[in-house]
Amino acid sequence: MDCGTCETAGPIQVMAPEVINVNLSISSKAQSMLNDAFGDDRSMALLVGVLSGGCSGYMYDLQIVEDTDQSCQELVIDGFRVLVPNASSHLLNGIEIDYVDRLMGGGFKINNPNAESSCGCGESFA
Amino acid sequence: MPVVAYSDACLMVWNGLDALKFIDGLSTNKIIDMKSGEARQTVFTTSKAKIIDIVTVFHMNSFIAVQGHQSKMDQLMRHVTPRILDQDVQITDVTLRNDFYVRYGLEQQEFGSIESLEGITYGHVSSFYSIMIASKGTPCDVTSNLTEFDQWRIEQIIPWHGSEITEKYHPLACGLKSLVHPAKGCYIGQEVLTRMSSRGKQGKLLVKVETSTADQRFITTLGEVNSLAITRP
Repeated sequence: MDCGTCETAGPIQVMAPEVINVNLSISSKAQSMLNDAFGDDRSMALLVGVLSGGCSGYMYDLQIVEDTDQSCQELVIDGFRVLVPNASSHLLNGIEIDYVDRLMGGGFKINNPNAESSCGCGESFA
Repeated sequence: MPVVAYSDACLMVWNGLDALKFIDGLSTNKIIDMKSGEARQTVFTTSKAKIIDIVTVFHMNSFIAVQGHQSKMDQLMRHVTPRILDQDVQITDVTLRNDFYVRYGLEQQEFGSIESLEGITYGHVSSFYSIMIASKGTPCDVTSNLTEFDQWRIEQIIPWHGSEITEKYHPLACGLKSLVHPAKGCYIGQEVLTRMSSRGKQGKLLVKVETSTADQRFITTLGEVNSLAITRP
């Protein structure tokens, strides 16, 4: 097998979508839950990202971070620092971060106008 | 053992720390636990579980080689590259540097390994056949042709790219159940395949039929005496 790694085999063109300036909103319920999570320390940020995978191809990734190595847009929404990776900005523009309070399947939820479909568990979308 | 040219094959090198995890998250078989020196087949499927391409994954230690099919490469790349996002995955097309063959008629007790012999890399992916990848110009004796290969496939009920393995079918219908891992977790198409398996409703299945009596509409590989067909049981 000639893997071409020692020479100059051309890389395959990756379909990298355009970076979009993201607008997003946080519901009052989600704000309340984030207040509990952040406390008074507003130096931390909510990272709202997308990973590949899941039944529908993309999965949401919510983390509370101090900083990240990813190239991100930093937004301040209702007093919360929100980081959105540029690589997934096209998938996250216009989303609402909500919180659903129920015993099964509760927690933070993303309402995403860009999603054509989502899987049964609601964690992945296409 | 007979060797036949594998004319529609292509080869991509996938580099990056996330390459294996990325393939695992988009295809039907469990790839994430592969070790260096192993070869395994998996299937990329659409959200409706229709086949995009069957590929053989070679874990070459410092990189992952993925043998797929030239006629499906554009579709596969359109499927996977938008999903790379921030992950450490780079894909290079090295098809033109290599020739591809299939050695068949085997009865391998153990498979799943990679072997290099006289400049040819063998991916022992099944108990019945191995995928062979040779650097361009490496001599390889082709001792069989497509007609003989198809005849052998019919008798062994082995599906093949372009005949049974096409975008018309899902992996369970065309005899690729062994490549659909039952417990690996989520991937695109998983909900549909899991639902079919759990409800015992797989629809059409790959079967060997008598050519003279079979309904010609369902034949996928035509043989003189027997043929392969995908039909409802």
